[in-house]
Amino acid sequence: MAEVTLYHWEPNANSGKPMLALAEKGVAFESRYIDMLEFDQHKPEYLAINPQGTIPAMLHGELVLTESTAIMEYVDEAFGGPSLMPDNPQDRWRIRWWMKFMDQWLGPSFSMLGWSAFVGPMVANRPKEELEALIERIPLPERKRAWRKAMFGQFGEEEIAESRRRVSLGVALIEAGLGKREYMASDTYSLADINIFNSTYSLPMSDPALATPEKTPNIWRWLKAVYRRPAVQRTWAMGRGRLAERFHRIMEDLG
Amino acid sequence: MILYHGDPNGPSLTVLAALEESGLAVECRAIDLLAGERHALPGISERVALDMSVEGEGPVLVCGGEAMTDAIFIAQFLDRQAGHCGLQPRDPHSHWQMMMWCRQVTERLSPAVALLGNLANSRDRLRAMADADFTRLVEAVASADLRERWIALRDGDPDPAQVQDSMAKIDEFAARVESRLEGGRGWLIGGFSIADLATYAWMTGAVLLREEAFAGKPRLEAWLRRAGGRDCVRKALARSKAADPRRSFAPGPEINRWG
Repeated sequence: MAEVTLYHWEPNANSGKPMLALAEKGVAFESRYIDMLEFDQHKPEYLAINPQGTIPAMLHGELVLTESTAIMEYVDEAFGGPSLMPDNPQDRWRIRWWMKFMDQWLGPSFSMLGWSAFVGPMVANRPKEELEALIERIPLPERKRAWRKAMFGQFGEEEIAESRRRVSLGVALIEAGLGKREYMASDTYSLADINIFNSTYSLPMSDPALATPEKTPNIWRWLKAVYRRPAVQRTWAMGRGRLAERFHRIMEDLG
Repeated sequence: MILYHGDPNGPSLTVLAALEESGLAVECRAIDLLAGERHALPGISERVALDMSVEGEGPVLVCGGEAMTDAIFIAQFLDRQAGHCGLQPRDPHSHWQMMMWCRQVTERLSPAVALLGNLANSRDRLRAMADADFTRLVEAVASADLRERWIALRDGDPDPAQVQDSMAKIDEFAARVESRLEGGRGWLIGGFSIADLATYAWMTGAVLLREEAFAGKPRLEAWLRRAGGRDCVRKALARSKAADPRRSFAPGPEINRWG
């Protein structure tokens, strides 16, 4: 058995964070694919690993680690390879600040818009009783509420509008931030880039009105640089289906 | 470096105590967070973290013109700036545990205590303000969602579901601390750390808001006494301008809006 085992979905959003961090550090890991669209993350065998039913989760020897951003910091500290956190304390503060901004303010809005568009249609053919049973086995009450909203299309106009406002403002703030430094939070590639890339890599396709070479030249420059990183390409080679196809199409379009 | 801080409660207490522990020489300037003074600070050239802080009305450390916010990250900065003063475990797993604990504080405990604390202690003062003064105050708040929390606190009716949920979250967190301290553990993660500071900084005010959450929890009670007795915490509390800093609140983080 490998020293590191990672339970993950596509190299997208949260699952992609430890995948990319491990790849940058050159750490081999055993991959356990958890199909979020089949609700594998709420099955008893996965809940035995992470009782909260959230992905990703990482095993390192006997240790079980959860929460994607915290796992990334662990990976950076526990393994050799290139450092993904600079030594400068203010840069480290800035990296953490941007990661929290994404995890707790901007990311949930990306997620709400994505789920409102995709989860409902994805489960439309499943009987209501089956969906209720799927919801019932979700451990966290807030995740239960989120899945129920998404499965039954219960989003209000106001909350969707608020998510759109946040995405629009968040993208503008990222553009401004990337105008100040080579990378998101420092002049070297860091965990903040991995975190933010994982929620913005698809902007050229998902929100072409918001991110273009003309409107957001700094984001464009940065996306190109991150897409071309060997660790990013190796990681996305592990992707399956629609998201991986989208990744490769955007990479071709970026040139 | 200049630290602008509110009365020592919540995030301001975390940072002031971390600063005491670090021994760093930083100029401290007390500001009235509930008067909106945080939004009129001088000498800031990079302000995104001030304008968009997830934490809400917390302390601001200005370093090289950049506004640094979010108490736990400022405390981590101070620890490292002081050449590791012991506020963060050095081994990666314990450090991960500390960050996981702190995230629970910022996502679950602090929004709950801030909501109840503001309703109990801040609303009357805001309601006593003239409309024109309050309008001027909120117009200076750059973040639209933080501005909405100011307005809801003054002019809105408390949402009973949010109040209930906040009380439940404080109950859960008190039980979590009590359970964590089983087996003679003195501090939450290894030695005294930012996890203890951040938890104490919110729990000490929660005692006045949700007394029943603390009843019958001897380990939690002893830990509160121990943490409150630390030199760094006592010195931070001594900076208070209020009769009881545990009642000092200003609009905090939002209640989780999605998943």
